[in-house]
Amino acid sequence: MEARDITDKCLDIWRDPYGFARGLKERGERPLAYFCSYAPEEIMHAAGFTPVRLMGATRNIASADAHLQAYCCAVARTDLDMALEGELDWLEGAVFVQTCDTMMRLSDIWRLNTSFPFHGDISLPVRMGEPVSLDYMREELASFRRSLEAYRGAPIAREDLERSIETYNRNRRLAGEVYRLRRERPEVLGGLEGTACVVAGLWMRKEEHNSLLEELLEGLDASDASDAAGGAGGDPLTPLFAAGSVCTTPDLFELARELRADIVDDDFCCGHRYIEGQVEPEGDDPLERIAERLSGRINCPAKHSAAEERTAYLAERVRACGAAGLVLFLQDFCEPWLFEVPFLKERLRDEGIPVLVLESDLQSFSRGQLRTRLQAFLETIRGV
Amino acid sequence: MGDGEKADKAEKERRRIKSTEAMRELMTRYYVDAKTAGERGVKVAWITSGGPVEPLWCFDVIPVYPENHGAMCGAAHMAVELAEKAEERGFSRDICSYARCDFGSAYTGGGPIGGLPRPDFLVCCNNICNTVVKWYEELARYFQVPLFIFDTPFVRGGLKEHAAAYVLRQMEEYFAFLEGATGKEMDEARFLEVAARSLEAISLWKDILSCAENVPSPMTCFDAFILMAPVVTLRGTEGVISFYRGLLEEMRRRVEEGIAIIPGERLRLLWDNIPIWYEMRNLGRLFMEERACLVADTYTNAWTFDRVDVSRPMESLAEAYASVYLNIDLESMLEQVVALAGRFKVDGMIMHSNRSCKPYSLGQFDLARMFTERTGLPALIIEADHTDSRVYDRSDVETRIRHFLDLLA
Ligand code: SF4
Ligand code: SF4
Repeated sequence: MEARDITDKCLDIWRDPYGFARGLKERGERPLAYFCSYAPEEIMHAAGFTPVRLMGATRNIASADAHLQAYCCAVARTDLDMALEGELDWLEGAVFVQTCDTMMRLSDIWRLNTSFPFHGDISLPVRMGEPVSLDYMREELASFRRSLEAYRGAPIAREDLERSIETYNRNRRLAGEVYRLRRERPEVLGGLEGTACVVAGLWMRKEEHNSLLEELLEGLDASDASDAAGGAGGDPLTPLFAAGSVCTTPDLFELARELRADIVDDDFCCGHRYIEGQVEPEGDDPLERIAERLSGRINCPAKHSAAEERTAYLAERVRACGAAGLVLFLQDFCEPWLFEVPFLKERLRDEGIPVLVLESDLQSFSRGQLRTRLQAFLETIRGV
Repeated sequence: MGDGEKADKAEKERRRIKSTEAMRELMTRYYVDAKTAGERGVKVAWITSGGPVEPLWCFDVIPVYPENHGAMCGAAHMAVELAEKAEERGFSRDICSYARCDFGSAYTGGGPIGGLPRPDFLVCCNNICNTVVKWYEELARYFQVPLFIFDTPFVRGGLKEHAAAYVLRQMEEYFAFLEGATGKEMDEARFLEVAARSLEAISLWKDILSCAENVPSPMTCFDAFILMAPVVTLRGTEGVISFYRGLLEEMRRRVEEGIAIIPGERLRLLWDNIPIWYEMRNLGRLFMEERACLVADTYTNAWTFDRVDVSRPMESLAEAYASVYLNIDLESMLEQVVALAGRFKVDGMIMHSNRSCKPYSLGQFDLARMFTERTGLPALIIEADHTDSRVYDRSDVETRIRHFLDLLA
């Protein structure tokens, strides 16, 4: 496939991920859902499942309102709604990782009201990344592994787990290459296309995604700026950095492009946070190594970090990629992020980095509104 | 005053819970102590309501509770203006209103007692929610003081061994943190004393709440909401024990003499979630008119640690803190609610769907359904917020409650 075809395909998947994932089952794969980038996918993968990410959908709620109040995030509400409406019947089950209060309760609500064969829970510590929680985390992963083994009726072999670790490490390395390219040669790979290629992997078996990324990278290497995938042409685009939890749809990236800007780097948990860090390839205890990667990453706001750690980290990354501003793209009612907003804004302003906060509303999604706000922000940045 | 009026007044006086005054004194003394701690060189820690407070008393640190303060601000109808101060700084109206109210008070010194004393350090335990982690991170930034996080992973089924080990390790860390923060050494004997007093307070509190099992009930849970302040705040100290002894005596006397808090009690109800602090008076009046008594609730009963084993105080306290009502799965919550309904012989349940508090509120719809399936008793869900009165629709809520009570009667 040409690079352009690959990015188009990935964008299509991002637009209709669950339609695509349904096809996995038809092809004999065993899709198992998770909601959070802290899910230990390597273990699920080694057990023979294809981990797929549920991250909401733009839709009206039909059944979830009978179980979840309207004052929790649309990711939780629309995911539950799809499940209750039978639209996720291709799933073998779901794995809940305790991140925020909403997810913690959603797990029980989901389990009580759906009938998927498998249900997994992992209570990750909130003190991620501190030595005190490492043993605990390892044991949580071990107990999760046992529950998967009991469900599939066979132990997960050590070789399989090591192979999955390798596959995922490879995936993160390739995705990291895509990110580097998009940062360093935006004329060859745009933010929209680059992100799409990484995001699409959330609904694919990683072996397949790895081949896709390899092909993409080879194709791009050969291409020059003129036939690049989404490269700018004409005037340079205004570089932006975006952060938040998930981008359910590519709209934010597309709007940026329409407005002659480019999201050159991000801190989304469906983006850069997802591909950050590697599992040590060697060592005695694979679970401990997986736990170490999860706690070694910069913590998501749903976990505890020291007072200024995350903000300093974000400021550093914005500077490093040369972005002219930061767009915070948040889910409505997402407390972990909302608590960070004032300090983050203040600190980044002190550093001369303009910040725009956008809230995603998946039920009454308005592209027009998003566009207007982004446009106004870009005008201030450009000083027009 | 006519004879009728006089009799009326005497009757009201007979029904009034007298210990309330002693409690006011106790709490006033405590807040004065806390606010003047700095002058006396005594350290102050801010701590979450579900946090282990015994170690603080053991190091002579005065614990201060922003949530209790939030409740006071709510009851005094001052929470909204404080929350607005936080909103002006960019905090969304979608975050817990206790937190907003607390930030507003920290910025301005506003509220019924002129704000809380500045903390020397912060202790945050997430057994009630994850919100407090974010809230206390912001406090740590604002006050530039150390923060200790006591992480209690969510419990499904029972507390797992590795989770118990994790919380125990943190209990040990907590003591080390306190040694660093106070420059004092941990005194084992002192800790045992404090823990024993704490357990005694909790067990007295449990006995007090049980008095409401009597028909008619000598108290409502609205009284319990007020009377619980000392067990939240001062458990582990001597004063709290004598106060609760007095209160228990008073409750037992009321039961013996047949003094009902709601004259002509005709309905008994269970309350779920944090009170709607700014509406306590109005709702109290409504229930009185309807002769419905809220005899028990899941909020004040969260203070009943019945598994604590004094022979291994450190471990067993750590375990008890990890397994509180808000940190367990829905089925385990259901068991507790069903047990309360039976013990207190209720006719139905009213659930406050509290916009501020997701761990308490999400799942209520399923809980209500399962509760009715199990007990045959109806449940009503009302929408509000514990301190942000801007989202409260009084006439709608009152109509729905009256309608529900009509159906029950
Ligand atoms: S972290 Fe935020 S977006 Fe994610 S599930 Fe929780 S509330 Fe929703
Ligand atoms: S979210 Fe609930 S438990 Fe947490 S601080 Fe707010 S009211 Fe308390």
